[in-house]
Amino acid sequence: MATVYSQYAWLVPVFPLAAFLILTAFGRGMKQAGAIVAALGSFGALALSALVLIEHLGGADEYNDSFNWIEIGGYALTAGFDVTNLTALMMVVVSLVAFLVNVYSIGYMKDDERITVFFGYVALFTFSMLGLVLADNLLTLYIFWELVGVCSFLLIGFWYQKPEAKAAAKKAFIVTRIGDVGLLIALLLLFWYMPDHDLSFAAIENVFGQTGLITEGITTLIAILIFVGAVGKSGQFPLHVWLPDAMEGPTPISALIHAATMVAAGVFLVARTFPIFEASQAALDTVAWVGAFTAIFAASIALAQNDIKRILAYSTVSQLGYMMMAIGLGSVTAGMFHLFTHAFFKALLFLGAGSVIHAVHTQNIHEMGGLGRTMKTTAWTFAVGALALAGIPPLSGFWSKDAILAEALHANPALFVVGIAAALLTAFYMSRLFFLVFAGNPKSGGEAHESPASMTAPLVVLAVLAVVSGFVEMPFGGTGWLGEWLTGHAAEHEGTALVMLISTAVGLLGIYLGWLIYVKGAISRDVVTSRAPWLTRLLERKYYIDEIYHAVFTVSLRAIGRAFDAFDRHVVGGAVRLAGGAAVWTGRAATRMQSGQLQSYGLYVVIGLVILVAAIAGRRFW
Amino acid sequence: MGGFYINWSGELAAFFAFAVVMIVGAVLMLTLTKVVHMVVSLAAVFLGLGGMFVVLEAEFVAFVQVLIYAGAVTILMIFGIMMTHHQAVQHEPARPVHEIVSAVAAILLFGILFYAIRTTEFEPSAPPLQAGVDNAMEIGKQLYTQHVIPFELVSVLLTVAFIGAIVIAKKEAE
Amino acid sequence: MLSSYLTMAAILFCIGLYGALSKRNAVIVLMSVELMLNAVNLNLVAFSKYGVVPSLAGQIFSLFTISVAAAEVAVGVAILIALFRARGAVNVDEFNEMRR
Repeated sequence: MATVYSQYAWLVPVFPLAAFLILTAFGRGMKQAGAIVAALGSFGALALSALVLIEHLGGADEYNDSFNWIEIGGYALTAGFDVTNLTALMMVVVSLVAFLVNVYSIGYMKDDERITVFFGYVALFTFSMLGLVLADNLLTLYIFWELVGVCSFLLIGFWYQKPEAKAAAKKAFIVTRIGDVGLLIALLLLFWYMPDHDLSFAAIENVFGQTGLITEGITTLIAILIFVGAVGKSGQFPLHVWLPDAMEGPTPISALIHAATMVAAGVFLVARTFPIFEASQAALDTVAWVGAFTAIFAASIALAQNDIKRILAYSTVSQLGYMMMAIGLGSVTAGMFHLFTHAFFKALLFLGAGSVIHAVHTQNIHEMGGLGRTMKTTAWTFAVGALALAGIPPLSGFWSKDAILAEALHANPALFVVGIAAALLTAFYMSRLFFLVFAGNPKSGGEAHESPASMTAPLVVLAVLAVVSGFVEMPFGGTGWLGEWLTGHAAEHEGTALVMLISTAVGLLGIYLGWLIYVKGAISRDVVTSRAPWLTRLLERKYYIDEIYHAVFTVSLRAIGRAFDAFDRHVVGGAVRLAGGAAVWTGRAATRMQSGQLQSYGLYVVIGLVILVAAIAGRRFW
Repeated sequence: MGGFYINWSGELAAFFAFAVVMIVGAVLMLTLTKVVHMVVSLAAVFLGLGGMFVVLEAEFVAFVQVLIYAGAVTILMIFGIMMTHHQAVQHEPARPVHEIVSAVAAILLFGILFYAIRTTEFEPSAPPLQAGVDNAMEIGKQLYTQHVIPFELVSVLLTVAFIGAIVIAKKEAE
Repeated sequence: MLSSYLTMAAILFCIGLYGALSKRNAVIVLMSVELMLNAVNLNLVAFSKYGVVPSLAGQIFSLFTISVAAAEVAVGVAILIALFRARGAVNVDEFNEMRR
């Protein structure tokens, strides 16, 4: 089929970029118009990417266009865009969620003074994320990767008057930076080892597809380093610490960046460079186990959190672990499928949480209750999202989580057990969240009214998507086409009946437990807290990881910094001051020579004469 | 002239005599306290120098030396001392660093000059000058023929000098 | 012989130099300068007799230096008298306006 729209795919990021530029230049005066500009920017991106996707759904070929950006010596650095099925899909996901968040923010950030700045940053982020998705070589992707990190920093610290927001923004940037160093080293290694120094994904697929071109050791190293970058950006253990703190930012961007898109960039990166991972079993195992561990680790922490956004943040970390586990098991399809569905229902959950926060002005779930009565739309859409996350059929989360668990059962049953355990915890904490917030009796006593239409409309759209997006890949023979379309081979379908049964049972069990504890009250809420308070505290304090990092890294680095600062101030600064002081001292000494005393001048002349003559005449001696 | 082998002759004896007079005079000039005594020892130096010119067979120059230096210049100095009403005894606040350094510089300069004198080979291309019986006549012959222009210029210079001295030293008109 | 005359002249010159550099009374400084000029004259006359090209020019030249030195002394004493009238004393280290 003709690639009519694909060749214009490079325009997709340009719409939000234009919006960003307009908003930055003229933002001061255009509070209302700014929202329109931003919405238009993201809608333009959405429309074009939808057209591209439709084209590719019809079977269009891959399209690639690039230009020589810098030529150094005999090497040309190219920059370009790749329109494959994978990137077309991601583009739509990103631009759709971005558009919905834009609409939602019109209502949520209505009273904020710097609303146009906010929309500008969101537009810049959308541009960067779309650029990252479209990038056709690893260097271009890295550039946009960093840009996305910067936008995340700007948006987390949007309310910069709050010291927690500033600290969270710094933390996010620094922790992801640690991951980015790994990615950079991988980039350099690839540059070194790839023939012709070609960093494009097509070349990577070529080279790593053939065995023996690059040694196993180097391949594993490169793959692990790329994964380190993904760990940072996607908040896997041990670099997950920034994601919960990033909840200091406004809720719409928690939805956009830290649920649907930026954190998915790590998964996307691993998917894009999958040929490297495929060539190294060790790397695949690392990815799978780190992902699995993160999934259950984060889920356990979410059990004991009291801030609604933090619960959702840990949930995101956990689900990203699932995606990584899927890719580590060798199935890019399952991972990307879960990314696709997760984007919708997690964004839905976050926007719903935003709606709740907007109504009751608190984020502590123990201060909420009974909101289901007054906020009907929010409650229903939130319920859909929660059920999807818990993996209840026939919602989308069920199908995607199933695909992952089926892969696990087939490839590595130990991982299957971990996945199931995490699923149980997921269902439980989501039901805890839902029941504490929406069920029961109202706590605050104030009137919590439903949010305006600009906020509830995106909730409804996302809820619909959360229901239907699962049907693109279903394990019943013949109806699943996502896998085939995406990567050329379908997801694993053996043993899926057993998996479906177990996962549904586990999900329902989790919800039932939650209902027992938090609605019926049949089991006391404090059953764990009273018997084993240390466990609750451990979970609540996130396994004290932040404290450990602080003690090990921050304290020592700060001490080193202080040592260097002292060195700089005293040794280097002292040397500089010494130089200056020497010049001044010499000047002052020379001033004393100009005394006006004639005899002194005469003496200097005689001394100079003696020295000169001695020097010239004495040459015969040396 | 090298080595320590001294060839005694009349010239050498006279030279030493006058040399002693000059050096003693010069040193006394620096070390005496009363200024007028300093001038007198300076006059002794001039006279000694005049004698040395005679030893060098430069009688006219010796005569001029005694006439101008030991006569006019010394008197001028005395006039200068009288007119500037200094204290009879020269009290100098010590400037030890300056004096020591200048002494060292002077000694070093002498060292360099002495070294140069000792190591230079003066090969006279002709025997020492025979000044002839009448030194004044010879000088006059050369002075008014070969060196007449400098002679005239020096006379202009002297005129300018004494006019200038009068102008500078004149008392301001009341 | 020549070197002894030259050495003598060097001695006189250095003594005069020391006096010129370290005496406080301006008249004494003038006297030391005269001493230096005399040493130069001795050099000239010695070279005139014993030098590389013995000729009468050395003696004639020394006549000229004697004249110039006399003129210089006259003017110098006149200046000192004028300075004395302005300042009241003729100490060399009080005349330090060439400082800046």
